[in-house]
Amino acid sequence: MGRGEVIRASFPSRLEYRDLAIRLVVSACKLVPKVGDDFSNEIVSAFSEALNNVVLHGRGGGEVELELEHGRDYLTIRMMDHGTPFDPRQAPLPDLDALPESGLGAYIIRSCVDEIDYAGGSPNILSLTKRLPRERQP
Amino acid sequence: MKYSRVDQGEETVLAIEGVLDALTAPEIRPTIEALVQERRMSIRVDLSSLRLIDSSGVGVVVSLYKRCKAHGGQVRVEGLSNQPLTIFKLLRLDQVFGK
Repeated sequence: MGRGEVIRASFPSRLEYRDLAIRLVVSACKLVPKVGDDFSNEIVSAFSEALNNVVLHGRGGGEVELELEHGRDYLTIRMMDHGTPFDPRQAPLPDLDALPESGLGAYIIRSCVDEIDYAGGSPNILSLTKRLPRERQP
Repeated sequence: MKYSRVDQGEETVLAIEGVLDALTAPEIRPTIEALVQERRMSIRVDLSSLRLIDSSGVGVVVSLYKRCKAHGGQVRVEGLSNQPLTIFKLLRLDQVFGK
Protein backbone atom coordinates (compact mmCIF):
# COMPACT_ATOMS: atom_id res chain seq x y z
CA MET A 1 0.00 0.00 0.00
CA GLY A 2 1.48 3.31 1.03
CA ARG A 3 -0.31 5.26 -1.70
CA GLY A 4 -3.25 6.61 0.22
CA GLU A 5 -3.97 9.09 2.95
CA VAL A 6 -3.89 7.96 6.57
CA ILE A 7 -6.14 8.72 9.52
CA ARG A 8 -4.71 7.90 12.95
CA ALA A 9 -6.51 7.39 16.24
CA SER A 10 -5.92 5.70 19.56
CA PHE A 11 -8.30 4.70 22.33
CA PRO A 12 -8.30 2.62 25.52
CA SER A 13 -8.49 -1.13 24.93
CA ARG A 14 -12.01 -1.46 26.34
CA LEU A 15 -15.35 -2.48 24.82
CA GLU A 16 -16.87 0.87 25.76
CA TYR A 17 -14.86 2.42 22.91
CA ARG A 18 -16.00 -0.12 20.31
CA ASP A 19 -18.88 1.90 18.92
CA LEU A 20 -16.74 5.00 18.58
CA ALA A 21 -14.03 3.07 16.72
CA ILE A 22 -16.60 1.48 14.41
CA ARG A 23 -18.08 4.87 13.59
CA LEU A 24 -14.60 6.01 12.58
CA VAL A 25 -14.24 3.04 10.23
CA VAL A 26 -17.69 3.71 8.72
CA SER A 27 -16.68 7.33 8.10
CA ALA A 28 -13.37 6.26 6.53
CA CYS A 29 -15.26 4.00 4.11
CA LYS A 30 -17.03 7.06 2.74
CA LEU A 31 -13.66 8.50 1.73
CA VAL A 32 -13.17 5.65 -0.77
CA PRO A 33 -14.85 6.75 -4.02
CA LYS A 34 -17.78 4.67 -5.32
CA VAL A 35 -17.90 2.61 -2.15
CA GLY A 36 -21.09 0.63 -1.65
CA ASP A 37 -22.95 -0.66 1.38
CA ASP A 38 -21.51 -4.16 0.98
CA PHE A 39 -17.97 -2.78 1.27
CA SER A 40 -18.77 -0.92 4.48
CA ASN A 41 -20.77 -3.76 6.00
CA GLU A 42 -18.02 -6.27 5.38
CA ILE A 43 -15.03 -4.28 6.58
CA VAL A 44 -16.95 -3.08 9.65
CA SER A 45 -17.80 -6.72 10.41
CA ALA A 46 -14.15 -7.75 10.12
CA PHE A 47 -12.91 -4.82 12.17
CA SER A 48 -15.52 -5.42 14.85
CA GLU A 49 -14.34 -9.01 15.34
CA ALA A 50 -10.68 -8.03 15.28
CA LEU A 51 -11.32 -5.45 17.96
CA ASN A 52 -13.14 -8.03 20.08
CA ASN A 53 -10.09 -10.27 19.85
CA VAL A 54 -7.81 -7.51 21.06
CA VAL A 55 -10.03 -6.26 23.87
CA LEU A 56 -11.57 -9.53 25.12
CA HIS A 57 -8.80 -12.02 24.54
CA GLY A 58 -5.66 -9.92 24.32
CA ARG A 59 -5.63 -9.11 28.03
CA GLY A 60 -3.23 -6.34 27.31
CA GLY A 61 -5.14 -3.33 28.54
CA GLY A 62 -3.50 -0.11 27.51
CA GLU A 63 -4.23 1.51 24.18
CA VAL A 64 -5.26 0.35 20.74
CA GLU A 65 -3.79 2.38 17.91
CA LEU A 66 -5.57 2.58 14.58
CA GLU A 67 -4.37 3.64 11.15
CA LEU A 68 -6.98 3.88 8.42
CA GLU A 69 -5.38 4.23 5.01
CA HIS A 70 -7.76 5.03 2.18
CA GLY A 71 -7.03 5.14 -1.52
CA ARG A 72 -9.03 5.27 -4.75
CA ASP A 73 -9.99 1.63 -4.57
CA TYR A 74 -9.19 0.31 -1.09
CA LEU A 75 -9.29 0.82 2.65
CA THR A 76 -6.63 -0.66 4.94
CA ILE A 77 -7.12 -0.82 8.69
CA ARG A 78 -3.98 -1.32 10.74
CA MET A 79 -4.60 -2.09 14.38
CA MET A 80 -1.77 -2.11 16.90
CA ASP A 81 -2.00 -3.47 20.45
CA HIS A 82 0.22 -4.80 23.21
CA GLY A 83 -1.83 -7.80 24.32
CA THR A 84 -1.50 -11.53 23.75
CA PRO A 85 -0.80 -12.15 20.04
CA PHE A 86 -3.61 -13.67 17.98
CA ASP A 87 -3.29 -14.29 14.27
CA PRO A 88 -6.80 -14.71 12.78
CA ARG A 89 -5.29 -16.49 9.77
CA GLN A 90 -4.29 -19.42 12.02
CA ALA A 91 -7.65 -19.96 13.77
CA PRO A 92 -9.59 -23.14 12.87
CA LEU A 93 -12.57 -22.76 10.57
CA PRO A 94 -15.98 -23.33 12.19
CA ASP A 95 -18.42 -25.99 11.04
CA LEU A 96 -21.29 -23.74 10.02
CA ASP A 97 -23.67 -26.68 9.61
CA ALA A 98 -23.36 -27.34 13.35
CA LEU A 99 -24.67 -23.83 14.12
CA PRO A 100 -21.78 -22.88 16.43
CA GLU A 101 -22.48 -20.25 19.09
CA SER A 102 -18.85 -19.15 19.33
CA GLY A 103 -15.58 -19.35 17.43
CA LEU A 104 -16.92 -17.36 14.48
CA GLY A 105 -14.83 -14.20 14.76
CA ALA A 106 -11.75 -15.25 12.81
CA TYR A 107 -13.96 -16.76 10.09
CA ILE A 108 -15.83 -13.46 9.75
CA ILE A 109 -12.54 -11.55 9.53
CA ARG A 110 -11.15 -13.86 6.86
CA SER A 111 -14.36 -13.82 4.83
CA CYS A 112 -14.94 -10.08 4.86
CA VAL A 113 -11.60 -8.63 3.70
CA ASP A 114 -9.31 -9.28 0.75
CA GLU A 115 -5.94 -9.27 2.54
CA ILE A 116 -4.83 -9.98 6.09
CA ASP A 117 -1.35 -9.45 7.45
CA TYR A 118 -0.31 -10.07 11.01
CA ALA A 119 2.90 -9.57 12.92
CA GLY A 120 2.95 -10.54 16.58
CA GLY A 121 5.23 -8.55 18.84
CA SER A 122 5.18 -5.34 20.73
CA PRO A 123 3.05 -4.03 19.29
CA ASN A 124 1.05 -6.74 17.52
CA ILE A 125 0.09 -5.36 14.13
CA LEU A 126 -3.01 -6.61 12.31
CA SER A 127 -3.62 -5.22 8.84
CA LEU A 128 -6.96 -5.69 7.07
CA THR A 129 -7.39 -4.52 3.48
CA LYS A 130 -10.60 -4.39 1.51
CA ARG A 131 -10.69 -3.44 -2.17
CA LEU A 132 -13.52 -2.18 -4.29
CA PRO A 133 -15.05 -4.87 -6.47
CA ARG A 134 -13.72 -4.79 -10.04
CA GLU A 135 -16.84 -3.20 -11.51
CA ARG A 136 -16.49 -0.24 -9.17
CA GLN A 137 -12.73 0.31 -9.54
CA PRO A 138 -11.61 3.56 -11.20
CA MET B 1 -29.07 -1.77 22.56
CA LYS B 2 -32.75 -1.83 23.47
CA TYR B 3 -35.01 -4.82 23.41
CA SER B 4 -38.62 -5.64 24.13
CA ARG B 5 -40.54 -8.84 24.69
CA VAL B 6 -44.24 -9.07 23.85
CA ASP B 7 -46.23 -12.27 24.42
CA GLN B 8 -49.34 -12.78 22.27
CA GLY B 9 -50.87 -16.13 23.12
CA GLU B 10 -48.38 -18.83 22.16
CA GLU B 11 -46.23 -16.40 20.20
CA THR B 12 -43.51 -14.14 21.56
CA VAL B 13 -42.04 -11.22 19.65
CA LEU B 14 -38.53 -10.30 20.76
CA ALA B 15 -37.49 -7.01 19.15
CA ILE B 16 -33.84 -5.97 19.39
CA GLU B 17 -32.67 -2.49 18.38
CA GLY B 18 -29.29 -0.84 17.97
CA VAL B 19 -26.15 -2.90 18.51
CA LEU B 20 -26.02 -6.54 19.65
CA ASP B 21 -22.37 -7.25 20.31
CA ALA B 22 -19.84 -8.40 22.88
CA LEU B 23 -20.69 -5.41 25.06
CA THR B 24 -24.48 -5.65 24.92
CA ALA B 25 -25.14 -9.39 24.46
CA PRO B 26 -24.90 -10.12 28.23
CA GLU B 27 -27.80 -7.69 28.82
CA ILE B 28 -30.26 -9.81 26.83
CA ARG B 29 -29.12 -13.24 28.01
CA PRO B 30 -31.50 -13.32 31.05
CA THR B 31 -34.46 -12.76 28.68
CA ILE B 32 -33.23 -15.55 26.41
CA GLU B 33 -32.92 -17.79 29.45
CA ALA B 34 -36.47 -16.93 30.53
CA LEU B 35 -37.91 -17.71 27.07
CA VAL B 36 -36.23 -21.10 27.14
CA GLN B 37 -37.26 -21.90 30.71
CA GLU B 38 -40.88 -20.92 29.94
CA ARG B 39 -40.80 -23.19 26.88
CA ARG B 40 -42.23 -20.57 24.58
CA MET B 41 -43.23 -22.44 21.41
CA SER B 42 -43.15 -19.72 18.77
CA ILE B 43 -40.67 -16.85 18.90
CA ARG B 44 -40.28 -14.12 16.31
CA VAL B 45 -37.01 -12.20 16.63
CA ASP B 46 -37.54 -8.79 15.05
CA LEU B 47 -34.18 -7.34 13.97
CA SER B 48 -35.57 -4.61 11.70
CA SER B 49 -34.05 -1.89 13.90
CA LEU B 50 -30.75 -3.68 14.53
CA ARG B 51 -27.84 -1.57 13.26
CA LEU B 52 -24.89 -3.84 14.03
CA ILE B 53 -24.25 -7.40 15.17
CA ASP B 54 -21.03 -9.30 15.89
CA SER B 55 -20.26 -12.95 16.56
CA SER B 56 -21.22 -12.56 20.23
CA GLY B 57 -24.64 -11.25 19.19
CA VAL B 58 -25.04 -14.05 16.67
CA GLY B 59 -24.22 -16.51 19.46
CA VAL B 60 -27.16 -15.22 21.50
CA VAL B 61 -29.64 -15.68 18.64
CA VAL B 62 -28.29 -19.12 17.72
CA SER B 63 -28.42 -20.19 21.37
CA LEU B 64 -32.09 -19.19 21.54
CA TYR B 65 -32.80 -21.11 18.31
CA LYS B 66 -31.04 -24.32 19.37
CA ARG B 67 -32.48 -24.42 22.87
CA CYS B 68 -36.04 -23.68 21.75
CA LYS B 69 -35.79 -26.24 18.99
CA ALA B 70 -34.63 -28.82 21.54
CA HIS B 71 -38.04 -28.64 23.26
CA GLY B 72 -39.99 -28.49 20.02
CA GLY B 73 -40.26 -24.72 19.71
CA GLN B 74 -39.77 -22.54 16.66
CA VAL B 75 -37.66 -19.39 16.24
CA ARG B 76 -37.86 -17.11 13.22
CA VAL B 77 -35.72 -14.06 12.53
CA GLU B 78 -37.29 -11.17 10.64
CA GLY B 79 -36.32 -7.75 9.34
CA LEU B 80 -32.63 -8.28 8.63
CA SER B 81 -30.92 -5.57 6.57
CA ASN B 82 -27.53 -3.93 6.10
CA GLN B 83 -24.64 -5.24 8.25
CA PRO B 84 -26.70 -7.79 10.22
CA LEU B 85 -27.98 -9.26 6.93
CA THR B 86 -24.40 -9.45 5.64
CA ILE B 87 -23.37 -11.47 8.70
CA PHE B 88 -26.40 -13.78 8.64
CA LYS B 89 -25.81 -14.52 4.95
CA LEU B 90 -22.10 -15.11 5.50
CA LEU B 91 -22.83 -17.60 8.27
CA ARG B 92 -25.68 -19.10 6.20
CA LEU B 93 -28.08 -18.30 9.04
CA ASP B 94 -30.50 -16.52 6.73
CA GLN B 95 -31.37 -19.98 5.42
CA VAL B 96 -31.80 -21.41 8.92
CA PHE B 97 -33.95 -18.63 10.32
CA GLY B 98 -35.92 -17.92 7.18
CA LYS B 99 -37.54 -21.37 7.26
